[in-house]
Amino acid sequence: MIRYCLRRIINSLFLLAAVSVLTFLLFEIAPGNFLDELRLNPQVSEQTIANLKAKYALDQPIGVKYAQWARSVAHGDLGFSVAYNMAAAPLLWHRAANTLLLTVTAMVLSWLIAIPTGAWIAARRGKWQDILFGGANVILLAIPHLMLALILLLFALRSGLLPVGGISSTALSSRGWGTTTGDLMAHLVLPVLCLVLVTLPMLLPHVRRAVSDVLDSPFILAARARGLPDSRLLVGHALRASANPVISLFGLSISELLSSSLLVEIVMSWPGLGRLLLEAILARDFHLVVGCVLLSTAFLAGGNLIADLLLYASDPRIRAKQ
Amino acid sequence: MNPKRLFRFAGASLALWHGLILFAGFFSPYDPTMQNRTLAFAPPTRIHFFDRYQRFHLRPFVYGVRAQPHNPEAYEEERSQVYPIKWMVRGHGYKAGGLFPTRWHLFGVDEPGRIFLFGSDDFGRDQFSRLLFGGQISIAAGLAATALSLGLGFLLGMMAGLQAGWLDEVVMRCAEVFMALPWLYLLFAVRAVMPLHVSAGKAFLLVVVVIGVLGWARPARLIRGVVLSAKEKDFVVAARGLGASGAYLVGRHVAPQTRGVMLTQASVLIPQYILAEVTLSFLGLGVSEPTASWGNMLSTLQQYHVLLSYWWMFIPGLALIPLIWGYYTLANTIKMRL
Amino acid sequence: MSHAWLARNLALCLLAAAVATVPSGGSQPARPGREELLVSKTPAGNQGGRLIVSQRGEPKTLNPVLALDLPSREVIYRLMGDLVHIDRSTLQTQPALATSWAVSPDLRRYTLNLRRGIKFSDGFPFTADDVTFSFKVYLDEKVGAPQRDLLVVENTPIQCRKIDDHTVMFELARSYAAAERIFDSIAILPRHLLEKDYQQGLLRQVWSLNTPPDKIAGLGPFQLHAYVPGQQLVLRRNPFYWKSDQNGNRLPYLDEVVFVPSPSEDAQVMRFQSGEVDIVSRVGAQNFSVLQRLQRPGDYKLFDLGPGFEYNFLFFNLNDLRSKGLTDISRKQSWFRQTEFRQAVSAAIDRQAITQLVYKGRAAPLAIHVTPANTLWVNRAIAQPQRSLERARKLLESAGFSWKDGALADAGGQKVEFSILTSAGNTQRGQMATIIQDDLKQLGMTVNVVSLEFRTVIDRALRTYDYEAAILSLASGDADPNSEMNVMLSSGRTHIWNVGQSHPATAWEAEIDRLMKLQLITPNYQQRKRIYDRVQQLMADNQPMICLASPNILVAAREKVGNLRPVVLDDYVLWNAEQLFIRKNVP
Repeated sequence: MIRYCLRRIINSLFLLAAVSVLTFLLFEIAPGNFLDELRLNPQVSEQTIANLKAKYALDQPIGVKYAQWARSVAHGDLGFSVAYNMAAAPLLWHRAANTLLLTVTAMVLSWLIAIPTGAWIAARRGKWQDILFGGANVILLAIPHLMLALILLLFALRSGLLPVGGISSTALSSRGWGTTTGDLMAHLVLPVLCLVLVTLPMLLPHVRRAVSDVLDSPFILAARARGLPDSRLLVGHALRASANPVISLFGLSISELLSSSLLVEIVMSWPGLGRLLLEAILARDFHLVVGCVLLSTAFLAGGNLIADLLLYASDPRIRAKQ
Repeated sequence: MNPKRLFRFAGASLALWHGLILFAGFFSPYDPTMQNRTLAFAPPTRIHFFDRYQRFHLRPFVYGVRAQPHNPEAYEEERSQVYPIKWMVRGHGYKAGGLFPTRWHLFGVDEPGRIFLFGSDDFGRDQFSRLLFGGQISIAAGLAATALSLGLGFLLGMMAGLQAGWLDEVVMRCAEVFMALPWLYLLFAVRAVMPLHVSAGKAFLLVVVVIGVLGWARPARLIRGVVLSAKEKDFVVAARGLGASGAYLVGRHVAPQTRGVMLTQASVLIPQYILAEVTLSFLGLGVSEPTASWGNMLSTLQQYHVLLSYWWMFIPGLALIPLIWGYYTLANTIKMRL
Repeated sequence: MSHAWLARNLALCLLAAAVATVPSGGSQPARPGREELLVSKTPAGNQGGRLIVSQRGEPKTLNPVLALDLPSREVIYRLMGDLVHIDRSTLQTQPALATSWAVSPDLRRYTLNLRRGIKFSDGFPFTADDVTFSFKVYLDEKVGAPQRDLLVVENTPIQCRKIDDHTVMFELARSYAAAERIFDSIAILPRHLLEKDYQQGLLRQVWSLNTPPDKIAGLGPFQLHAYVPGQQLVLRRNPFYWKSDQNGNRLPYLDEVVFVPSPSEDAQVMRFQSGEVDIVSRVGAQNFSVLQRLQRPGDYKLFDLGPGFEYNFLFFNLNDLRSKGLTDISRKQSWFRQTEFRQAVSAAIDRQAITQLVYKGRAAPLAIHVTPANTLWVNRAIAQPQRSLERARKLLESAGFSWKDGALADAGGQKVEFSILTSAGNTQRGQMATIIQDDLKQLGMTVNVVSLEFRTVIDRALRTYDYEAAILSLASGDADPNSEMNVMLSSGRTHIWNVGQSHPATAWEAEIDRLMKLQLITPNYQQRKRIYDRVQQLMADNQPMICLASPNILVAAREKVGNLRPVVLDDYVLWNAEQLFIRKNVP
């Protein structure tokens, strides 16, 4: 178990390193460089530039530069934001937490809906419910995420039922913890709904297929022949047996979710990584861009790690291989 | 619906869409960048069969519109002048299918009448014409980027599959990294290092190349898998035993095996890339004004007053739905047939 | 509006108003040790409450020597006090941290009496040392504060000397009428908190957004309370603030001011509509109509204050690029430098369409940089701009341009193609660019529109000169022509089309230089007006700034906000933040 865990963690670290090298290489070949951008910012003094130059080895070859930057990551600075004139990390953490809150909530909800619904449809495969869901699914899949976000936004605006954009109603500092949490939940509804609607149509068919494959397998047929009721079959046997293909989907769905959340964050002004990234790009704030990409990769790697561990826990074959 | 009928339906809808978009110049009544400054945000023009005396006209007609005197944001029909819809009219010049210069359009109305099937945008440009011309950009981006991804994926996948040594190892590790990337974030990062200061044409090329290059990993892995299994197939082993050259084997036996994978991947990637282009343009990182693209058109909706007031600005987004649906259905059917 | 720092620099560069006014000062006679409060004459309000202010974009810093963007300055002005303040509604100076001042007969020495017995927001007493320290910081070239420009007259920095604990004297290199106006908005820094950092050369690093609130103190009506990145910045009432209302209650009325950032004006209006914020200080014309349409009685108030002092304009890069290695742009400059070319572009632009499409009619088309709001100074002899493609074509022909297949080419056969820079996130300027693009297409010019983040646009326009043409807006901070000094003088830092020249590049720029310097020392309004009319005529003839439109100042605020008096000048709503209050019994 521990060895398996370690291997997966090392894999994730390798991935992160690869991504950081990749993005760094990208900036190396890009026209215009960090130093130029720094000099352009009237808020950054020559003194600061000299300090940063030493700290990040900005005029050195890329290898040295990368090593220095990696050191700053290890120190928890994650580079220097040209536009904000401060270390990138404090800017990133807060946004990353918001993004995480959004995506994790959406993820959990999507799965909570997808598994029972998928199993239920699978039990009724070929019936009208299945066909109805299939049709709705395809339509949901075909709606561009952008469109979905805009329609939801319009709905919220028109109805006035939900807060529009942002993460908190303003100035709740003096009220209680309960109000603050309630307020956060209210702000979460719209973006989470959007993400769930984006993720569900990807998950549902997979869950349905996995469960129906199991339902058609000999051991279930045998169980049914012995007279076990359908509901117990579904929950007790089929769901557990179909866990594997479903869990392996988990890792993949995170990548999709992150990409959609980027857009949703921007459209619904959720103060997450996505919005920060867009601002950083327009301001050509390179280290911040790298930071955003790196953090999103870290989320992805983390998600994949969880998926792997779940798979390990649920699938005896993987354990046996060790 | 049974799969075969679905397949036909999807195919037909795709063909229709692509036909409309390929011959955008013919089907659209106006130049997509032509501004009508007195007709900003005009709603879709109403097509009439009955005139103000309740007389029926076989040839449908439209009225001119003008801003309401007390509310300049709303338009009213000017019923005194009738503009019959005419078929096959001569209008602005364009190149049919991108090749033959011509001035013929499928339909139109006489000047100074205007027919905006899908309304007009903030500069009074015809949304219908922009939708068709914008489709050219978005779909071209999708197709070209897919070709790039598949080409790269094919090349690398074949190399990895055939070589099966260190090269295989390197390519597959890289593919893993690329697949694990939050690709939209990376796409953004790549766009960040590109000069923002480029012309519309160059921006378009950049977007295509970036989208395309980022997506090589999945097709490469799939193709490698096919190659590996094809290498072990009896007839390939037999042909090798009979002394067939490597190039012959690849060209004749291995490469054709990848066709199914390539087709499925294409029908999955094309809609995905169309949407990627739309997203980039929506955020102002794609093709710049005044060129029409679906993302540019949708980006008007970021303005609060547009979102709240002008429903027809949603049309480009709705137009995407059948297109994407068509591609996904195609992909599903191909997958099922394999 | 992020062009504000430019505006400030313009506004305050060399303010020598025609009439020098030394107000009597509304304060009590000086009694050592006792707190001298300034009694504000506005109607009394209720204590307490919280005001939620929407900001476009997040503040980047709280450090007065760094802040250039409007969100930062909007916050900093609430935290800090200045010596002499210009009342934004009357444009007259009023006593602030200086209770009164005396001017020497040669107009070179200004002696300021400081308010006694008052404290910084952390309770530390304020003395003349804080003033001398502040001016030392601002004038220190190593610090590089933007305020330095305002405090240097005729290349000589203003001298600041402490007379005693409550008196300072400023000495200027040259006689200068009403120089007290330059003290407006120059924040007085707390020496006890910052001197150490200054001595270590770290002043630019202090007071970032994640500085703990107790490390920041000022003499403004509010003090920093909390900052949540991306969400809100909370200011609390400064208990030691030195103003009171007529009933003797200490100002400010509000307990808290919360600044909430939004990424765009649209998001601002959405949050206003949903009741989350109380004030949006600049609403776009299109959203203003939406707000008007959806208005319910008793909910919010909308103010259309008419055109302000802001002017949008298109300008070409006329900088000397010989040492910059931007060969592509310098080649195109052979067109930009031709007056006929610029006149033709100006003639081809449909300003009526800009005011209608971009501003829904809530703007004034502009022929020159002086907006119709400036009734005192605008040159009415200059005709309203009329679009004429015909005239534009004639102008281009006379300058040797010709058309080939509808495309414009110069005498050498080069096709005319250039790009216009606009700032991303400013929908209006983007729309103007699209309209201009289409207008110029009809002259056969190919125009690309490039949007970059605002700061990047400014950097390119003022520092690197890596652009071909751009659309920006400036706002005169004051009606007086002197506020345009830095734009008009060819040596000016915001002489935007050709920044900071050592010698005027053209004869007409030399003439403008002469006229501007002449009006500075001309005492009589009629004479100055004649001189400035001539300047406007030169600008209109040569079109270095092709002015487009001046938008109306549109403000939205909740009904419950009391003492609200929006003005057309920068800081539109919050200029009297200490007097604002929340009405009871209004939802």
